[in-house]
Amino acid sequence: MALGGTIRGKKTTLRLPAETDLETYNRWMADMRVRRAHSVWQEPAMPATWKERFKETAKEKMDVLWSIDAEGGLIGFAAGSFWSVTESGFTLRQFVIDPEEWRKGYGWDAALALHRYLFDYLDLRRSGVEVRADNVAGLRIADRLGYAEYARGHEVHYRDGGYVDEVQLFMPKETWHERWGATEREYGPVAADATR
Amino acid sequence: MFGPRLEGRNGVSLVPSTLEHFKLHGPWSMQPEVGRFWGPRFGEVTDDNAATRFKEFADSQTSVNWSIAYQDEPVGFTGIFGIDWVRRDGESGIFIGRHDLFGRGIASEAVRLRTDFAWRELRLHRVHNWIGLANRGSRRANEKSGYQQMGLYRKSWFRSGEWYDEWLGEAYPHTFPDQR
Repeated sequence: MALGGTIRGKKTTLRLPAETDLETYNRWMADMRVRRAHSVWQEPAMPATWKERFKETAKEKMDVLWSIDAEGGLIGFAAGSFWSVTESGFTLRQFVIDPEEWRKGYGWDAALALHRYLFDYLDLRRSGVEVRADNVAGLRIADRLGYAEYARGHEVHYRDGGYVDEVQLFMPKETWHERWGATEREYGPVAADATR
Repeated sequence: MFGPRLEGRNGVSLVPSTLEHFKLHGPWSMQPEVGRFWGPRFGEVTDDNAATRFKEFADSQTSVNWSIAYQDEPVGFTGIFGIDWVRRDGESGIFIGRHDLFGRGIASEAVRLRTDFAWRELRLHRVHNWIGLANRGSRRANEKSGYQQMGLYRKSWFRSGEWYDEWLGEAYPHTFPDQR
């Protein structure tokens, strides 16, 4: 997994992850509130193991990891995979917000900024995400962004003594531009005389 | 890991893969008849890469893979990948490399053997897959073993002037036809 650079939202900033973030990642992966909302990215482990994982993560070419900051502190991380050299798309695999920071709008803000990067900056054709059917906050963010359900896996995830369905969603870039293209731009227009 | 030998009907069996089988995969996948519903028809098609992939597949603790044999000759591959042993869910796939043998029911029998193994031996809860909607042979092979549509991914890829959709399927022990 490569390490992602800075993407600024209004309340949050996705930024280059650092080794100092790993202890907090470990804490989140051990938090049952996180584990019930998401698939686990990595199991809790010793600091040395996390450092090894971090080194391996940085070497991957098609996957990207970002830490998410708000109000000067680490509040989450996002990770996903680019599809292939012939398919222009991205699957968001992990989007974790510290449970102590839930319901403050950070998830929405960071998700909007990340998708601006995917469509406005990288010009991808599609993005995809899989969300547990009982993750109401995650589904609400996806719906607001413009994702549409294309499949529903039945009894996919096991947690809290039972199975829950998985909703599979995607968004084409046309939807992004229709809904957000006028307001969410990474850069302003190039100045008329900039290329003279 | 590689799965055990499973004897099927009409000359079809699933057998543990060998390195020699893996060396066949690259040349097979580069054929236009095979690649219509597969990847871009280029890649690291070398014996060294086949050896690396063979070792990775053999070492994997989250996949079970077989070579498909027809009349004792290797003709393709099948397996269950990315198995989550807590959820007891995995993704299945099948690849018939010998396009001159398409239409003989080899895939149907291979999928039946694989799916039966998933329920009776691995005690999985669910298996799912993606298949090109227009790849009717593969889709029917999976449906005969209890796969049911759970979604449709529109405009997945573009070939020869048209968009191809993908069919998403899932199967459970209770959807597997009684084979006794």
